[in-house]
Amino acid sequence: MPDSAALACPVRLPSQRGRTERRLILVFSVIALALAAAGPLLLDTYSISILIRSFLYGAIAVTVDILWGFTGILSFGQAAFFGIGAYALGLSVTQYDFTAPIVTAALIGGPLVAAAAAGLVAWLGFGPKVTPLYISVITLVLSVIFVQMIYSGGDFTGSSSGLSNFDTFDISMEGWFRVAGVFLVAVTAAGWIFVRSDFGRLLVAIRENEQRCRYCGINTARVKTLLLIGSAIITALAGFAYAGYNDVIAPDLGNFQFGTQLVIWVALGGRGTLIGPAVAAVLIDFISAWLSGSLPFIWQLIIGLVFIVVIVLLPQGLGPAVANLFRRGRTRPVAARLAPLPDADAAGSGALPAIQVESVSRNYGSLHVLQDVTFTAGAGELVSLVGPNGAGKTTLIRCLSDGQERSSGRVAIEGNPIGRLAPEACVRFGLGRKFQTPNVFDALTVAESLRIARSRQERLSFVRTADEVRLPAAAMRVVQATGLSSQLGTTVKHLSHGAKQALELAMVLAMEPRVLLLDEPTAGLTKSERSLIGEVLVELVRAHGLCILLIEHDLEFVREISSRIIVLHQGSIVMDGTVEEVTNSELVHTIYAGEPHAVAA
Amino acid sequence: MSEALAVETLTSGYGEAMVLRDVTLRVMAGEVLTVLGKNGMGKTTLLKTIMGFLPVRRGQISIFSQSTVGQPPHHLAGRAVAYSPQDQAIFQELTVEENLQLGLPRVTRLAPELKRVAAIFPFLAERRRQLAGTLSGGEQKMLIMARALIARPKLMLVDEITEGLQPSIILRLANVLRQEKSANGTAILLIEQNVSFALSVADRYAVLSRGEVVDQGDAHQPGADTSIAEHLSV
Repeated sequence: MPDSAALACPVRLPSQRGRTERRLILVFSVIALALAAAGPLLLDTYSISILIRSFLYGAIAVTVDILWGFTGILSFGQAAFFGIGAYALGLSVTQYDFTAPIVTAALIGGPLVAAAAAGLVAWLGFGPKVTPLYISVITLVLSVIFVQMIYSGGDFTGSSSGLSNFDTFDISMEGWFRVAGVFLVAVTAAGWIFVRSDFGRLLVAIRENEQRCRYCGINTARVKTLLLIGSAIITALAGFAYAGYNDVIAPDLGNFQFGTQLVIWVALGGRGTLIGPAVAAVLIDFISAWLSGSLPFIWQLIIGLVFIVVIVLLPQGLGPAVANLFRRGRTRPVAARLAPLPDADAAGSGALPAIQVESVSRNYGSLHVLQDVTFTAGAGELVSLVGPNGAGKTTLIRCLSDGQERSSGRVAIEGNPIGRLAPEACVRFGLGRKFQTPNVFDALTVAESLRIARSRQERLSFVRTADEVRLPAAAMRVVQATGLSSQLGTTVKHLSHGAKQALELAMVLAMEPRVLLLDEPTAGLTKSERSLIGEVLVELVRAHGLCILLIEHDLEFVREISSRIIVLHQGSIVMDGTVEEVTNSELVHTIYAGEPHAVAA
Repeated sequence: MSEALAVETLTSGYGEAMVLRDVTLRVMAGEVLTVLGKNGMGKTTLLKTIMGFLPVRRGQISIFSQSTVGQPPHHLAGRAVAYSPQDQAIFQELTVEENLQLGLPRVTRLAPELKRVAAIFPFLAERRRQLAGTLSGGEQKMLIMARALIARPKLMLVDEITEGLQPSIILRLANVLRQEKSANGTAILLIEQNVSFALSVADRYAVLSRGEVVDQGDAHQPGADTSIAEHLSV
């Protein structure tokens, strides 16, 4: 067993980095809070009244950035959530009295309604078969619906003229300035800690490669739904504060122009930088208010031109450009240590077959890729799936790991029928799948990728970065033998093709699966790496009782490691037998070494 | 024989990991040079730099005796250079036929050229209207190769084309590349992990290790494979 200390990288550990960073956040927060406290003494009344709004917008921009910049969810609906929060106060106070219970009800009810709306939007927009565009369209529609509802509310909602002069809090403008300032600092600091945590890296992983996340057993739709709901609650709170201070609310608050404006501010400030969008939102809103008086129409034009210039010259936004000026000589992203896990006991029951496939077929229109495939494989078996290119091997693996894939037939993993279950649910039966071409997270480091693969065993922290990556022995051997252990801090996109293959295999092994589906796991690796991976697989099967189904073209390799071989040809199993039976058979030689589409089965 | 590709004291790289240092290579018309090496030694970086996807930090690259440093990739594609990259190189949402059409100059008609490549890979003609994304992994590899061949290139840059292909197809590819070389005088730079395939096609070989050429020689000379194997196993 490798010594974990020997694997430690000679760089600062994330815990240290985390501490310095946390101190930095604390310092910045204190400065920001001091400014919020001192602001009223330094600024004129007009500036103060504008900045209150700007601060609230800044906090919303942070939520937009977490959704869009980090997770890839482009939402135009924050305006609607903001409007819901504002109207919750306005409507309750105009309908009833300004009393503590009513205001408290509005304070809780507004965010709840916003959360419900976000939940509905998420249910529609994060379904299994929709593209990321859906959520953008649906949030846009949400804003339109919100404005229409306010318009059609007659006297109740004040229609197009909105509500004004309702009773509100008896708080001075300076007081509101401080409330809004604290709100902005709190949301930004919490957001900053959140996105830098292990869970925050999962958000980036979802943006980068949602499919791989789902095959790591992560219910990405749920993560995205909760994130949207969280952002809706924060935004509705900002809306509540806005209504309380402004005493005038209008349908414009919830329209999609505002929603779009927020997105533009985030883009200008720098997606995925969090501070950039917050600063951009505050500054632009503040300057706009000042200049819209003196330069009413030109100002919008200037904003538009700045936007175009920034997108063309600094596609990452202004935030990163400014940050780069200060970043010279800073340390690179830090890696974690590897820590070996004790060997788990072979937990396979053995009573039920690990893989059970009954008359599975898959058609693409009139094309029959799989026809009536039936076989079982048990714990402790390493079954190789061979056949010409286009025989349906990858399709078969797809049908075993995603309930939506097959046209007919039944599949059970460790005795659990997969029905029409999604990949993340199939993975929970103990399945691990390695794809044919490397399927990894380009923007994450090697260590972060491995940690996300382990997220079902070890929960990702919302506030911290773990300084260890704990790996089971098999994953550890792959990581060490392929040199990945010395590249833990390397961003995955800079890895070679073969190293990405090895990383994906290590990620799958890190999940401690009972049933492994491997699609050409050694493609792109050298002979020595290949034989090492062969050894690891054989050991997993013999010593730990795993069941492995392996696609491989190298018959030599197959012969060395398999306990059984299935030959697939034109979508059907033409042979299923021991290594000797298959490799000596005339039929297999004709099919496999012959022409792929000229031979009749 | 004229020089198809000359790489001189080339230094290039990106990000933190892969860097090329002082690489000098030459491929003549009608010659196949195979570049071998372990993962992460800079093989793909070499091809991407030649194609102009990565900037040249130092050194010189000439294609058909003209410097290409600083030129964008599509300029090279217009000069009879075909590049078949290792990853995701086909348009999944286009049909087989449309993918092949993209390999051709705009004025060329597809039909006769399709016939030529379909003689090598028969499934291309049978499934010309199928979406390329629904082909199997190995079939997509063949489509990439066909798209490179269809334009009758004078210089081919091929990145690990045998990965995921069944043995008989690999044998056929070796024949195709040899024929392309001798019949049309095509120069081929072949990046490979599969040493026996590479040596069966190549005239010369070079081994890259940590971004430098550490061994090169005649692919047919006895002992070439053992010399290479030594470098690959270190």
